[in-house]
Amino acid sequence: MAKRHVIVGGGTAGWNAITTIREIDKGDSEIVLVSDENPYARMVLPYYLSQEIGESHVFTATETRLEKLTVETHLGRRATSLNPDNNRLILDNGDEIDYDNLLIATGSSPVRAPVPGADGDGVHSFWTIDQAREVTAGLKPGARVAMIGAGFISFTILNALIKRGVELTIIEIAPRILPRMLDDEGAVIVQGWLEERGIKIMAGVEVTSIEDASGGGKVVKLKSGTDVNADLVIMATGIKTNLEWLEGSGIEVNHGVVVNDHLRSSESNVYAAGDVAEGPDLLSEGKVVHAIEPTAMQHGRVVGANMAGVDTAFEGSLLMNIVDVLDLEIASFGRWDDEKLEVVRVVQAGRPAYRKLLFEEGRLVGAIVLGRTRDIWATNDVGMIKGLVQSKCELSEWKAHLKKNPFDIKCAYLAAGAAGNLIPQTLLGRPSV
Amino acid sequence: MKALKIVPEKCTGCMRCELACSYMQTGTFQPSKSVIRVSAFESHTSYSPYTCLQCDEGWCMTACPVEAIHISPAGAKEVGYDICVGCKLCTIACPYGTIFYDPDAHKAFKCNLCGGAPACVEACPRDAILYEEAEVTDWVGPFAAERSKGPGGVLSVRVN
Repeated sequence: MAKRHVIVGGGTAGWNAITTIREIDKGDSEIVLVSDENPYARMVLPYYLSQEIGESHVFTATETRLEKLTVETHLGRRATSLNPDNNRLILDNGDEIDYDNLLIATGSSPVRAPVPGADGDGVHSFWTIDQAREVTAGLKPGARVAMIGAGFISFTILNALIKRGVELTIIEIAPRILPRMLDDEGAVIVQGWLEERGIKIMAGVEVTSIEDASGGGKVVKLKSGTDVNADLVIMATGIKTNLEWLEGSGIEVNHGVVVNDHLRSSESNVYAAGDVAEGPDLLSEGKVVHAIEPTAMQHGRVVGANMAGVDTAFEGSLLMNIVDVLDLEIASFGRWDDEKLEVVRVVQAGRPAYRKLLFEEGRLVGAIVLGRTRDIWATNDVGMIKGLVQSKCELSEWKAHLKKNPFDIKCAYLAAGAAGNLIPQTLLGRPSV
Repeated sequence: MKALKIVPEKCTGCMRCELACSYMQTGTFQPSKSVIRVSAFESHTSYSPYTCLQCDEGWCMTACPVEAIHISPAGAKEVGYDICVGCKLCTIACPYGTIFYDPDAHKAFKCNLCGGAPACVEACPRDAILYEEAEVTDWVGPFAAERSKGPGGVLSVRVN
């Protein structure tokens, strides 16, 4: 009998698992997808908000494609519990699905600051397509928008908000903006850049409540006594992994579902991938949750190969992010915030350009790249930095060169032979198709 | 499969490849929009072009959240401009540093082998760039290593 692969979650990890299984078995198995939303590419929602793309552009795994890949779908359904002893998944409508292999790819959800009024009307998250539709509909040119949280998610929609002509105030509880992507030196540059362009930034402040304003709109009340008036409030105060439904299943869970180098959980026919998985880390022996798009994609493909019977080990995920705000590029890689490492920092005088490189012995293991869009894309640096970290290339004498000249990446990359280390590397042990 | 083979020893640094590439790709002569890029070594006494190897993994292609990058009939990983939204994930996924972002077009761009007739190869007067059946290797690495350490190289040591 054909094997039945059940995929729980239709995001990047789940979709990549499905396409990889079909690349290998050409339809020779049953695939069942359970997803509470129709699958789409979350990563491009900011471009939907800015109205650069239409809604159809967001939906990658369309009904037609799922049909073509002979996927049985249970859309609009949530998994509520898992019983690994008899290989059974239970859905919110009581349906039971038996599996040979199961993928947990339930991702994460936005969390709101625990303050009164956080769930009130006019307060939005920006995570799902439905929420993106709500925010898109609520934006009028000249509208006052208060964005609570200055993390990666809020920064990905900053350009879109400005493009839509709103008046933006960013409120952050941490002492600096982008606290999980940028250090103090970088944050100062970015904050200055945004303030010069008319964005109001309040860092190191605490929201005490969000209330309805008397003349309509909302008022965000701060502990300092200041009120921030807004027509629309966006709450981007972090995400949490969607693990609750696994309670009682016996599957080992820490920050995420703990998986081995084949992305198998404590049950060998139950896999986990993406935001919900705590898997191998490229730069350490430990396990880690990297809730980023590239990790979800890689996890999904590795799981797909393993489910389809092609034994595939995963070397580990690499933390990396890139976002631009009003033509200032911000990228960080690997262990960018590990101050125990050998660190070199350089700021270019007179222009918003900052580099931080972090070394462990003879290897580059982390970096921050910050600069004007035009400066950054005049070089090959962003990719080459990733290549140096990923290839674990021994820099030998080039380390001293990079410490002296952190902006001269290309020379070190080429001469250290990083490309030679990378050429044989593939994720699945074969060329991608 | 044919590959763009770089023979750095033959490069004179004339930059014709960059001009030809940008002209073919964008219709303008702008080295900053070229996807083959020439580096100088030893205080500008030697040069080498560097471009996408069309690697087996296709890190850019698999990273794209909207599947904008596909394999062309010429075997190149090619950006579909009508699908690319300019999110730049491909540029941090590519460990070779050979996919770029065009701040004017708001799109990613990279070598597409000019559909199988690379303009850089045609433009090179010294056969430093060849398009032929070849096992892909790190064409530039050993050349760069040797020249970076020698006289005038960035790692040269002063001898009194």
